[in-house]
Amino acid sequence: MAVKKDLSLKYLGVDCLNPFFLSSSPVGGNYDMVAKCYETGWGGCFFKTVGIFVADECSPRFDQTNKEGLPWVGFKNMEQISDKPTELNFEYMYRLIRDYPEHITVASIMGSSVDEWKKLAKMADEAGAKIIEGNFSCPQMTSHDMGSDVGTNNELVESYSRAVAETVPHIPFVAKMTPNCKNMEEHARAALKGGAAAVSAINTIKSITNIDFENNTGMPVVDGKSSISGYSGAAVKPIALRFCTQVQQDEEIQRMAKEGKWNFGHGHEMSGIGGIETWRDVAEFLAIGCRNIQVTTAIMQYGYRIVEDMASGLMHFMDEKGYDHLDEFIGCALPNLIPAEDLNRDYKVLPAFDEKKCIGCGRCYISCYDAAHQAIDWNEKKRRPELNDNCVGCHLCLNVCPVQGCITPGEIKWKVRDENGVAVREANDATHIKFKKDARKEKKLALKAQYE
Amino acid sequence: MSKVVKAKYTAEAVPGFTHRTALEEAARCLLCHDAPCSKGCPAGTDPAKFIRSIRFRNVKGAAETIRENNVLGGSCARVCPYDNLCEEACSRCGIDRPIEIGKLQRYAIEQEKLFKMKTLKAPSKKQAEKVACVGAGPASLACAAELAKAGYKVTIFEREEKAGGMLTYGIVPSRLPQSVVDHDIAQVKGLGVKFVFNTEAKAEDLEAFDAVFVGTGLWDANLPKLKGAELKGVYSAVDYLKQARTKKKDFDPGKRVIVVGGGDVAIDCAVTAKLLGAEDVRILYRRTIEEAPANINEFHYALSLGIGITTGLYPVAAIGTKTKMNKVEAVGFYDKKAKAEFSCDALVFATGQKPEDQSAYGVDVNEKGFVKVKKGGKAGGKFFAAGDIVNGGKTVVEAVAEGKEAAASIIAYLEKKGVK
Repeated sequence: MAVKKDLSLKYLGVDCLNPFFLSSSPVGGNYDMVAKCYETGWGGCFFKTVGIFVADECSPRFDQTNKEGLPWVGFKNMEQISDKPTELNFEYMYRLIRDYPEHITVASIMGSSVDEWKKLAKMADEAGAKIIEGNFSCPQMTSHDMGSDVGTNNELVESYSRAVAETVPHIPFVAKMTPNCKNMEEHARAALKGGAAAVSAINTIKSITNIDFENNTGMPVVDGKSSISGYSGAAVKPIALRFCTQVQQDEEIQRMAKEGKWNFGHGHEMSGIGGIETWRDVAEFLAIGCRNIQVTTAIMQYGYRIVEDMASGLMHFMDEKGYDHLDEFIGCALPNLIPAEDLNRDYKVLPAFDEKKCIGCGRCYISCYDAAHQAIDWNEKKRRPELNDNCVGCHLCLNVCPVQGCITPGEIKWKVRDENGVAVREANDATHIKFKKDARKEKKLALKAQYE
Repeated sequence: MSKVVKAKYTAEAVPGFTHRTALEEAARCLLCHDAPCSKGCPAGTDPAKFIRSIRFRNVKGAAETIRENNVLGGSCARVCPYDNLCEEACSRCGIDRPIEIGKLQRYAIEQEKLFKMKTLKAPSKKQAEKVACVGAGPASLACAAELAKAGYKVTIFEREEKAGGMLTYGIVPSRLPQSVVDHDIAQVKGLGVKFVFNTEAKAEDLEAFDAVFVGTGLWDANLPKLKGAELKGVYSAVDYLKQARTKKKDFDPGKRVIVVGGGDVAIDCAVTAKLLGAEDVRILYRRTIEEAPANINEFHYALSLGIGITTGLYPVAAIGTKTKMNKVEAVGFYDKKAKAEFSCDALVFATGQKPEDQSAYGVDVNEKGFVKVKKGGKAGGKFFAAGDIVNGGKTVVEAVAEGKEAAASIIAYLEKKGVK
């Protein structure tokens, strides 16, 4: 029997079949597409952003970055919000909500004035939307009154959030944040202050993916020219995880979420977006406190079917970990993501080399010499690395080694410090370190377990 | 019914890489320190360097590396026994399978052609000395290219009408297309090397030269004792392959063809027969497959075309009339009692080559007729030799390696002479 786990959860008080949603983009732009994605297993869809403004698009509008022949490491798009008439979009949403009541069709909207935001919120309500997302973050809008320029203006974020929250007070409003900012937390706070229930992040990152040398411009080339526009895909996942973590760790945001009217006991209900392709990516966003995840780029590359392995993989993960519900591990990594100054700097973990697995490529030697601490000597005759005393335990060697399980974390060396805290020598155990009672043993055991 | 591969005689059997697949393959390369593959190439083609160039999107640089180190880079990419050389040395064997080095080399040279690159350039300041190369096969071509790169005036004498030696006359084009050989030779010509075709160099032709390189190769067939060897339909491998390549449509490969031998040449003959329309083609090898010198992949390929392989037997008599043979008798090599009869109208002996008379070239030969040389191909005085005529018949890449070495010896010899 295939492993089955319950992936349902409540997001902003709304029952969801699972946390897998399409993000507002070309992958969910009409009735048939979204219907197909629901049939495939997606729990919901942030429908392609609707405005009063109807987009006039350029062609071509996509480009991708690749590395070592691997395509789609990152993806760039120049599309704006929906190019279909506003009424038609809401009609699609109305039909989807009617025909797929268990699936959550979220209305994503973008206005260029308070009045437009109010009007769109009303239309979303009339279509039956249970959640509305405000797009404050598209980086390639042709007007500065919309998109990511708005998302970094706290006054506009707050007033537009308020416009929606006051127009449809019964519908939770999610403000979609741009990563093209100095500090996402302040814009998220502005949204919550205006009445948004939560934020989602990240929208795409302003980018130039490649230069075309025939036209001496960026790619894609439109009549000899190109523009800066949004970057997404696997390459941006680390940046997305960072923004989501910072939002989730912001005490003010958590306080506002708890004290606000959309408090369901989970604190701030983040929706995570950015480079999600696999169940593991999903689990990672859940681990940093997201209760909903959104995907586009991977669907553009592979289609809706990727959700099948997202669901199955996540169930196997839960089975392995002994979880029955997503709530059991949502946010589990948040307490362990700490400021760099709080990290334990009392030890180093030396790499251990498995001579039998080693194939003698010498990559560890090259990287250690050219980029680290010249801690690996190269035995030319045997074609094997030999660790010397220069090793600082950085693990660059372990990261470049192409053989699975060949270089692994090995012996732990503890720093012995003088009265000024300067490390003066090494020790093979931690007996000299003053931990709180019993903490030393626990810590050592925990460290051991971590590396074994 | 077994599904056999249908192929064309003149079309390259194995498809090459595209930009994307080449990059994918290059990405599999571990970019080793002190790379074993580069040490594994006799001719010093330096795969580690050219694969790294492909990996870092410098295809032109890759082609440059290959061409500078091995003027026959395109041909070697097709006919090298990688699995005994660079690919066997590849560190990636320790993980799964080696990098397809030959195919990447082929890709880089294909790009070289596409970009119309002219990598090799002879210096404008010429040396005073003139060098002659006898034969236009791999060893001579490699030697001539090195000498021309160093500014020497080189003349190649070739008795056939085309250059390339075995590359042009002794390999099936589906494995090594003529266009590839011609492209390699064009690099040598581009260096200003003069070719004199249809001319068997005589001693007096060589008098005017300050140094002479002998790269005459092995063109005499090593035929075993056989009753009926004089019958029409009995060929040496070299004759069979050459006629197929030169006579083209006028060549009759035979209907039932038996090829005797267990090397790459035997397989080339069998493939030639099959691709030119022979109904039934069989390779007859007296020993076992394990003992056969041919690359196992070539056996696989022959089999995939529907060519039969029979081991443990060798032919003793060709039977037929003067105008037509119709069967061959074979006996067991291990079990002397075994006897078999195969009907056939073409019997091809791919049982090795032997040297012809080398007395015109002022070189000493051993009892087998191979040219005797010291290190660096020194054959005494102004004479130098390398390639099959010295080593008894090895690979193209080894001929290239030896030709390069001989060129270095010639340069040292001429420089020393110049000082005096």
